[in-house]
Amino acid sequence: MSASGVPLANKRPFDLGGAAYVALNVVLLAFLLLPILIVLIFAFNPTPYISFPPVGVSLRWFEKFFSGSDFMNALGLSLFVAACVLVLSILIGGACSLALARGNLPGRAFLTAFFMSPLMLPAILTGLALFQSYLMVGIGRPVWGLIMAHTLVAVPYVLRTTLAVLHNFDRRIEEAAAVLGASPARVFFEVTLPLIRPGVFAGGVFAFIVSFDQFPVSLFLVVPKGETLPVVLFNYMKFDLDGAIAAASMVSILLALGVVLALEWLIGLKAYVKL
Amino acid sequence: MSPTISRPSPIAWLVAPAVLLFVLFFVLPFGVMVVMSAYSGNPVTNSHAYLTVRHYERFILDDAGIYHDALWETLRIGLVTTIISLLIGYPLAHWMARMHSRLGHSLVLMAVIAPLLTGIVVRTFAWMTILEDKGVINTLLIQWGAIHKPLPLMYNEFGTVVALVHIYVPFMVLTLIGVIGRIDERLEQAARSLGAGRLRAFMEVTLPLSLPGILAGSLLVFALSISAYVTPSLMGGTNVLTLPMLIGQQIGTNFNPNFAGALGVVLLIVTLLIVIAYNKILSRLAGEPGMA
Repeated sequence: MSASGVPLANKRPFDLGGAAYVALNVVLLAFLLLPILIVLIFAFNPTPYISFPPVGVSLRWFEKFFSGSDFMNALGLSLFVAACVLVLSILIGGACSLALARGNLPGRAFLTAFFMSPLMLPAILTGLALFQSYLMVGIGRPVWGLIMAHTLVAVPYVLRTTLAVLHNFDRRIEEAAAVLGASPARVFFEVTLPLIRPGVFAGGVFAFIVSFDQFPVSLFLVVPKGETLPVVLFNYMKFDLDGAIAAASMVSILLALGVVLALEWLIGLKAYVKL
Repeated sequence: MSPTISRPSPIAWLVAPAVLLFVLFFVLPFGVMVVMSAYSGNPVTNSHAYLTVRHYERFILDDAGIYHDALWETLRIGLVTTIISLLIGYPLAHWMARMHSRLGHSLVLMAVIAPLLTGIVVRTFAWMTILEDKGVINTLLIQWGAIHKPLPLMYNEFGTVVALVHIYVPFMVLTLIGVIGRIDERLEQAARSLGAGRLRAFMEVTLPLSLPGILAGSLLVFALSISAYVTPSLMGGTNVLTLPMLIGQQIGTNFNPNFAGALGVVLLIVTLLIVIAYNKILSRLAGEPGMA
C-alpha cells in the first residue's frame, strides 16, 4: 500500500492518539530489550553481589568464568554438542525437506506436521521420555544420547527454513536443467543444492542456538560433572547470584552472535535475510 | 505442477534418516513414558515390576494435598501469562503490521527476535537481577524514598509471570503479525470514512478479524508457559510449585521415574488438547473471509 492511499484529511496538526500509540509501543519494546542490557551492565560491575547502580567497570567476572573449570568443561561440552547437532540436523533436516518437497510422498501434510511436532510438545517431556527410554534399555546417559535429543528438537527448525526456500523457488529451473540434458544427480548437485543452501544454513544457525541454549531437554539427560552450560548456570543460580552468571550470559550471547556472523560470512548475508 | 504426481520419486528415500530419528528418539520414547507410568518399576531390568494404576491414583486422590494445587497453579500461571502476553504483544504486532517503513519494520522485528536468541536461563537471570530484594527496582525505589522495605517482587507467582511474559511475548507477536498483516487495511479506512472513530473502527473491524490470530497466539503461549521449568523454579523459589517442577523433583530428588511418567502423561494430555485446538484454528485461518 502506498502512502498516497491514506487520505490527507486524516492528518491533524498534532495527533495525540497516534503519539500515545507509538509511545506505548516504545515502552513495550523497552520491556523486551532492557533486561538484556541489564545483564551487560552486571557482567562488568565489580561488586560481589548484583547491585544497582553499577559502581565501575571490571573484568573480574569474566576472569572467574574463564578460570572456573566447571564453567569451562560445561562450555566445551555445550559447544561440542551444538556443533554435532548443527551437522546432524543439517544433513537429516535438509534431506527430509527435499523428500517432502520433491519426493511426491503420500501424506505429505501429515508428515510435515509430524516432523514439526517436537516444537509443540513440552520440551521437558521430550527430555523425560528419552531419560526413561535410556533408563529402560540400560544405556545410562551417554553424550550421544544428548546429541540425538538436541538433534530431534533442532531438525524442525532446519525443515522450516529449508521448506520455505524450496516452496519459493521456481521448479522450472530444475526442469530446464533436465531438459538441457543434465542427469538427475547433476541437476541435484548443480541446481537444487546451491539454491536450497541458504535455507539449510539458516536452519543450521537456529539448530546451533537451540542446542547451545537448550535447558529442558538436557535437564534429565546430563550426568553430574558432565553438564551443559545452561544446566551448570541454572544450578549455580539457585545458590549464587553474582556477576559470573552475567559474564557467562554475555559469552553465550556473543557466541550465538558469532555463529550467526560466521555463517553469514561463509554463505552471504542477503541469502537468508529474505526468508 | 509436474505431470506425474502419484508415484513417489527416488528422492522420497531421503526422508528415511528423519523417520528413523523420529521413531527411535521421539515416538518410542513417548511410548516408553506411557508404559513406565503404568508400571511399579523398570519392567526391563526389574522382573518383579508389575502393571499398576497407583501412580495415577496417587495423582487423582492427592492424599499429600499438593498435586491438584500444582496442576491448578500451572494452569493459572499459564492463563495469566497468556493474557498479559496478549496485552503486550497485540499493540506491538499491530504497530509492525501497519508500519509502512521497511527499515522501521525490520528494526522492530530484530528487537522482538533478539530476546529469542538469548537462552531461557539467561533471560530468567536478567529478571532475577531486576526483581530480587537487592535488585534494580527495589534499590531504586528505596533510594528515591518511595519504600523502606523491599517489595516482594520475586519468589512468588508475580515474578514468575513477569519473566514468563518476557520470554513468550515474541511468540505472541510473531503469530499475530501475520494475521493482522493479512487484514485489508482499507476495511478500517472504509469504517472511518463512514464516520466511525479510530477506536470504534479498530474495535469493530480490525479486532474481530484478528480473533483467530489472538486465539492461535494465546494457545501457543499457554502451551509453552505450562511446560516451563527454569523460570518457575528460579523466580518462584519454594513458593511456586508447577507440574514440570514436580516432574523435576520426581527425577532429581525422589528418583521415582514411574510417577514422573504419570505426571508427564497428565501434562501431555493437557498440552495435546491445546495443540489440537491450535491446529484447528490455524487450518481454519486459511479460509477465513475478509482475509486477503
